[in-house]
Amino acid sequence: MDKRLSLEAFTASLEPGMRIAFGGGGIQRKPMAAARAIARSGLKDIDLVTFLGGPEIDLLIGLGRASRLSFAFVGFDAYGLAPCFRAAREAGTLPIVEYSEATMLAAFEAGAKNLPFLPTRFGLGTDIVTTATSPFKIMTCPFTGETLLGVPAIRPDVALVHVNMADKQGNAIIHSDAYADSLMVRAARRTILTAETVVDELPVDQSRRSTFISRLWVHGVIEAPQGAGMTAMFPDYRFDLPRVLEYQKKANDRAWLEEMIQEDAK
Amino acid sequence: MSAGYTLEELLIARMAREYRGNAIGVGATILSDLSARLARVLWVPDMFLMTASRGAADPDASAKSLCDEWVLDRTSRMSLDWVEMFHLVAHNRLQIWLGAVQIDRLGASNISVLGSWDKPKVQMVGARGVPDDLWGCERLCYHMRRQTTRSFVEQVDFVCSFGYGERREQFGARAAKPGMVVSDLGVYDFDPSGGGMRIVSLHPGVRFEDVQKRTGFPLTRPSGVMAVTAEPTAQELHVIREVIDPHGIRRLDGDGTDTLLMELWQQELERAGVSAAN
Repeated sequence: MDKRLSLEAFTASLEPGMRIAFGGGGIQRKPMAAARAIARSGLKDIDLVTFLGGPEIDLLIGLGRASRLSFAFVGFDAYGLAPCFRAAREAGTLPIVEYSEATMLAAFEAGAKNLPFLPTRFGLGTDIVTTATSPFKIMTCPFTGETLLGVPAIRPDVALVHVNMADKQGNAIIHSDAYADSLMVRAARRTILTAETVVDELPVDQSRRSTFISRLWVHGVIEAPQGAGMTAMFPDYRFDLPRVLEYQKKANDRAWLEEMIQEDAK
Repeated sequence: MSAGYTLEELLIARMAREYRGNAIGVGATILSDLSARLARVLWVPDMFLMTASRGAADPDASAKSLCDEWVLDRTSRMSLDWVEMFHLVAHNRLQIWLGAVQIDRLGASNISVLGSWDKPKVQMVGARGVPDDLWGCERLCYHMRRQTTRSFVEQVDFVCSFGYGERREQFGARAAKPGMVVSDLGVYDFDPSGGGMRIVSLHPGVRFEDVQKRTGFPLTRPSGVMAVTAEPTAQELHVIREVIDPHGIRRLDGDGTDTLLMELWQQELERAGVSAAN
């Protein structure tokens, strides 16, 4: 089954209110081409999900497209805070649900297993449990009586992951850090990959530093060279430091941001 | 500091003393990342490094760069996925130096928000993995880049990890204890009976009065002679300068300007043979 499609055909399939999850982490392997295309499509009221968010999340917030954000982190790793996320939060205009890394992994794993929730110890006793929007419940282990944290499943309507290489049927390889992407695509109702390259068949050998995603989890494949934009795509390109610094300085200027999403690369 | 070393080098060497082998050693700040590399070279050769990327995990100690992945790729033994990483955390196989924005008297830390969570004065990055490292690590150590009354506080604004006190009594027999804290002024730990932060040593030339002025809660002056943080040895300085940080990335800890960052960036692209326009 040939699952290739265009960015435009993909964005045309989206509806306001959908829960859309973005893969990658910080300024690594972010689906920037997909985020820019979504921004250009005019889609509103996006219920954003990200394990470790970066510029893809920040620009959708900056353009006023987010109705809510669930996250464990949003930032530019060692290179600063996310300017639009910061501005929206400090203005009190962005509803958020704050997770930690391991509680969001638990939420994806529950989704992947088609379970309502999974228990963890991670996060217990910290303020992620006390926020006004906390999705967590303190529970008692039915076997040992221990106090645990119940984490409800996250089932995104769409998961977006940028990969190094995919075949037409949706098999894909990620080199280097896969972040939460393997679990996230199994929790999602629909997974769309953007790929630096789309080939007929993936090469058979795979290094121990790569992650494989099966076509059974994938619904669409979009070829998007330079699709990670200003973020790093090992081994093809480094993150674009001058662009990252420029983004941080200018992204709160709406006109600049509107222009930025029109560009095909960077 | 007039000695033949910088504050950054002193801190790297001091933090490097806190690792054990056959486990993951991580530093989440530039200097603590370098401390893990130094420890692996000099003290714990079987430590599992995870510097900057799970994707290039268990590499040999190598020269730090802004795009570490490209360097670590040469010796990295595996890509450690995040699910397995938290399995290792759950089994007490992670030792970590975190970089917090606030640390409090009883050892709670915060990297998420300043002010109220509902409408923060400053929105930072979110709790990230701190609430998780709390449940698996034996202790959480902190590299605080600058000690001020705003970073060393009576009580953190948002509890990403709890220290001693009420929450530990309610939830925490198994939770990580607050471990060592290192700042630009000194080295600290916590009274295990809940008495709060204690001075372990002050860096050469630093007086108790200076430290108290830059701490948001009262510190106790240790009885007897004030301990002084050990200066880095010639061997440690050699490894820092020649092996793990020949490009001087450590300078970014004290100089966060774009000018130094861009200078290091240009040098890195030149070494890699990548054109700046790429």
